[in-house]
Amino acid sequence: MAALLLLALAVLFVGCSAFGGDQNTFAPEGDVAKKQLEVFYWALWPAVVVLILVTGALLYAVIRFRRRSDDDPIPKQVHGNFRLEIAWTIAPTIVLLALAVPMIAAIIDLGGDPDADALHVNVTAQQFSWLFEYPSLTDAEGTPLRAKVDELLIPVDREIVVHLESVDVNHSFWVPKLFGKLDAIPGRTNDLKFNATSPGTFSGQCAEFCGIGHANMKFTIIALEEPEFQVWCEEQLALEPGAPVCQR
Amino acid sequence: MAGATIGERPGTLRDALRDVRDQTAGYSGIWSWITTVDHKRIGIMYGVTAFVFFLAGGIEALVIRLQLATPNGGVVNADQFNQLFTMHGTTMIFLVVMPLSAAFFNLLVPLMIGARDVAFPRLNAFSYWVFLGAGIFMNVSFFTGGNIFQGELGAPGAGWFGYAPLTLNQFSPGHGIDYWAFGLLILGIASMASGFNFIVTIINMRAPGMTFFRMPLFIWMTLVTSFLIIFAMPIITVALFQVLADRLFGANFFNAELGGTPLLWQHMFWLFGHPEVYILILPAMGIVSEVFATFARKPLFGYPFVVFSGVAIGLMSWGVWAHHMYTTGLGSVANSAFGFTTLLIAIPTGIKIFNWIATLWGGSISLKTPLLFAVGFLAMFVIGGLTGVMHSMVPSDYQQQDTYFVVAHLHQVLLGGALFGLFSGVYYWFPKFTGRLLNEKWGQLHFWLMFIGFNVTFQPMMISGMLGMPRRISTYSEGLGWEFWNMLSTVGAFLIAVSVLVFMYNVVISLRSKERAGDDPWDGRTLEWAIPSPPPVYNFAEIPQVKELDDFWHTKYVENEQGQLVRVVAGAAEQAEEAEDDAHHDIHMPSPSYFPIIVASGFPFIAFGFMYDFALLPVGAVVMLVGLYGWALEPATE
Repeated sequence: MAALLLLALAVLFVGCSAFGGDQNTFAPEGDVAKKQLEVFYWALWPAVVVLILVTGALLYAVIRFRRRSDDDPIPKQVHGNFRLEIAWTIAPTIVLLALAVPMIAAIIDLGGDPDADALHVNVTAQQFSWLFEYPSLTDAEGTPLRAKVDELLIPVDREIVVHLESVDVNHSFWVPKLFGKLDAIPGRTNDLKFNATSPGTFSGQCAEFCGIGHANMKFTIIALEEPEFQVWCEEQLALEPGAPVCQR
Repeated sequence: MAGATIGERPGTLRDALRDVRDQTAGYSGIWSWITTVDHKRIGIMYGVTAFVFFLAGGIEALVIRLQLATPNGGVVNADQFNQLFTMHGTTMIFLVVMPLSAAFFNLLVPLMIGARDVAFPRLNAFSYWVFLGAGIFMNVSFFTGGNIFQGELGAPGAGWFGYAPLTLNQFSPGHGIDYWAFGLLILGIASMASGFNFIVTIINMRAPGMTFFRMPLFIWMTLVTSFLIIFAMPIITVALFQVLADRLFGANFFNAELGGTPLLWQHMFWLFGHPEVYILILPAMGIVSEVFATFARKPLFGYPFVVFSGVAIGLMSWGVWAHHMYTTGLGSVANSAFGFTTLLIAIPTGIKIFNWIATLWGGSISLKTPLLFAVGFLAMFVIGGLTGVMHSMVPSDYQQQDTYFVVAHLHQVLLGGALFGLFSGVYYWFPKFTGRLLNEKWGQLHFWLMFIGFNVTFQPMMISGMLGMPRRISTYSEGLGWEFWNMLSTVGAFLIAVSVLVFMYNVVISLRSKERAGDDPWDGRTLEWAIPSPPPVYNFAEIPQVKELDDFWHTKYVENEQGQLVRVVAGAAEQAEEAEDDAHHDIHMPSPSYFPIIVASGFPFIAFGFMYDFALLPVGAVVMLVGLYGWALEPATE
C-alpha cells in the first residue's frame, strides 16, 4: 500500500510541472535552477526504485510469512548470512558512489568563477525587505543605480552575480524558478550566480526564518530583453541613449 | 534497609524475598512516587509525562495546521504562529521523543540485562525530576514570558533551532528566548545524568554470562544513544551559555555589528543537532529489532551487523552536521565533503533495514499491533531515509532546504520513524508493566488511523515544498498552487489526532479490563518475559545465568529428534528456578529518597534568578546545596 502511495506520489512529482505556480521548482527558467532540478531527478529515480524494491520485499515478507494459526511450527532459527551482508553493504555503496561523483561535479560547476561580462548586483536583506544595487551601473557622479525595494530587474540570458549581505538577522535569497537558496548572514558576504533564460516576472521569498514578517518578505525578479534593460538603465541614471555604462 | 541484613545468618532465597517484600509493602500513595528510586516507576513517570507533553505539542501542531489550511489564514497572528512552531518542535524533540526513549531505557534496561535496578537509582530519579521541572518551566513561558494581561503570549518564537542573531535581545525582546535557552540547559543536565547512568548500568550490571554480544539489540542501541547524549549535550550547553551571555550580560559571541559571528551558532547547534537526530531514532531502532524477532519467532537476522551498523551510525553522525548548512555559503569544498559523508551514512542505515526484512523473511509472523507499528516504522523510515539521500545531494538541496519538503522528510523520520517505533514498544511492553494487554481491536484501529493520517499529512508536503512553499511562514497567498496540498495536510493532521484519542481510550479500557496478560504473552525472547507481569520490585528473585543470545527463548524451546523446535514441557524452567541451594541470598534494594527532587527543584530558581531578580539565585543555590548534602550523607542502609 505504501509502495502504491509512493508510486502515485512519484507520478505526481513528474506531473507537478503541470500544476503551474509562480514558485514551482519543476518549471525552471534559468540554467542554475535547471541544473538543480536535473540533480534532483538523479536522486529521485534511484530512490523510487529502491523504495519499490524494499517496500515490496517488506510487504511480501509480512503477507507471505504471516502466522496462520497458533499451531504453526516454529520457523527455522536462521541467525544470518555472511554473503547477503556483504552484498547489501556493497550494493548501496556502489549506488551512493554513483550519485556522489556527479553531485560533486555539479557543486563545483555551480560554484565556478562568473563570466567576464556578468552583471553584478549587491543585495541587502533586512527585516523584512530586499534592497538591490548595481555597483557597475553608475551615473555621472559615480552613484550606483538602485532598483526599487523588493524588485530586481535583470537582462535575460546574461549571468548575474549576486553579492548578498544582511544588516540584521539571517535571511535567505530564493527565487525557485531561477535558483536555489543562498543565506544572507550578518557580517559576511555570500556570492551566487544565476541567469534567466526567458523574459518574465519571477517571484521569490525569504527562505530563512527571520521573525514576525518572514512570511511577507517577498520580492520579484523581472527579466527584460537586453535592449529593454539598457533603456531602463539609461532612464534611471538619466544618461544619453547608448551610454557605455549600460551596455553589455 | 535492604533484605537479609549482612552479618546475620545466611538467608535463604525465601527469607530474602520475604524481607524485601516487607520492606516495600508500605510503598504506596503519592509520596512513594515522589521518593521512588525504582527504575520501573521512574520509567512509567517518564512515559506518562512525555505523553502529556505529546498532547501539548500535538495541539500546537493542530493550530498550526488550522492556520495553514487555507491561504491568508486568520486563526493566529504571526507572533503566535512563531511561538507555536517553536514550541511544537522543541516540545516534540526534547519533551516527547527523548523522554519517551528514556522511559523505555528505564523500564527495560535492568530487566533485559538481568539486574535489580540501574547503577545509580537516585541519580535516575534526579534525571526525571530535572526533566519535569524543565518541561514545565519552558511551557510556563506562554503565560509569563510576555504580558499575558494584554493577551500577549510569551513563549519563545525563534524556532527550535534558535538561529543567532534572531535570538539576541534586539530582535527577540521579552523573556521567551531566555525560557527556551534555560529550559534546554536544564534538560541537558537530565539527559547527561541519565546518559552516564545507563552507560554505567549496561557496562557493569549485566547478569553473569551476558557478554556484550549476548545483549538484546535494544540494549546496544541504548548504549550507543547514551554515548551520543553525553558527547552531544555539552556542545549545545556551550552554545546556550554563549547566547545567554549575549542576552543577559551583553557579551558578543553572535552580534556581527560588534564583530561577533552569527554562523558560529549554526556550527555549534548542528554539531549537537545531527547526533541528536540519531539520539531520537536509535532507541526506536532498538525497539523494532526486538519486536521483529519476537513476532516472527526468529532471532534477529545478522545480529552483529545490526549492532555494528548502529555503532557506525553513532560515529558517522558526528561528521555530517554541515549538511544543515549547505546554503550558508561554506563553499564548494565543504559542501562536497559533507554531501559525501551524508550519502555514506545511508550505508549502515540500509544494512539495518535489510536485516530487519530478513528477520521477517521465513518467519511465522504474528500480525498484532506491536508488529504493525514496527512495520509502519520500517516503511515510513525507508521513505525518510530516501528523502534524506535526496537532500544530501547539495545542488538539489539548494532548492529544498527550508521548504515543506524538509518538513515532510523530518516527520517521516521522527513521526513515521521514531514515534511509530515507540508506539510499537508501548503495545509490546504494556502487558509487562501493567499486567494487561492493550486491546487488540482498538490497537489495530489506532495503527491504521495513524498510518493513513500520517501519509495524508506529510507526503503532500513533499509536493508543497517542491512547489516553492518555505517552512515557518505564518500565512501564504492564493495562486501559488499550495492550497490543495495544505488542506490535505490539515485533514491528515486531524486524522492523527483522532488516532491518538483512540489510543487513550484503549489505554483506559485495557487498564480496567479484568483479563490478565500473563508473564509472557508474546512468546518473548529476552529476559524481561521470564519474570511476572508486572515485575516485582526486585525484578528477578534470583539473578539469571545467561548462556546465549535470546537466553529466555532457549529455556522454552529445544530441538527434538527431527531437528524441529518444540516447547519444553511447561514448568520445567520454573522448577529449575525453584530449586533451593545453600548459597547465601541477599536482595539489596535501594531505599526511597526525596533528595533527588530537592536538588532538581533548585534549577528553575536559578534560571528565574538570572531572568528576573538575582535575589532568587541564592535561593536556588541553597536548595540545591541542601539537597546535595542530604543526598551525599544519606545512609546507604537504614
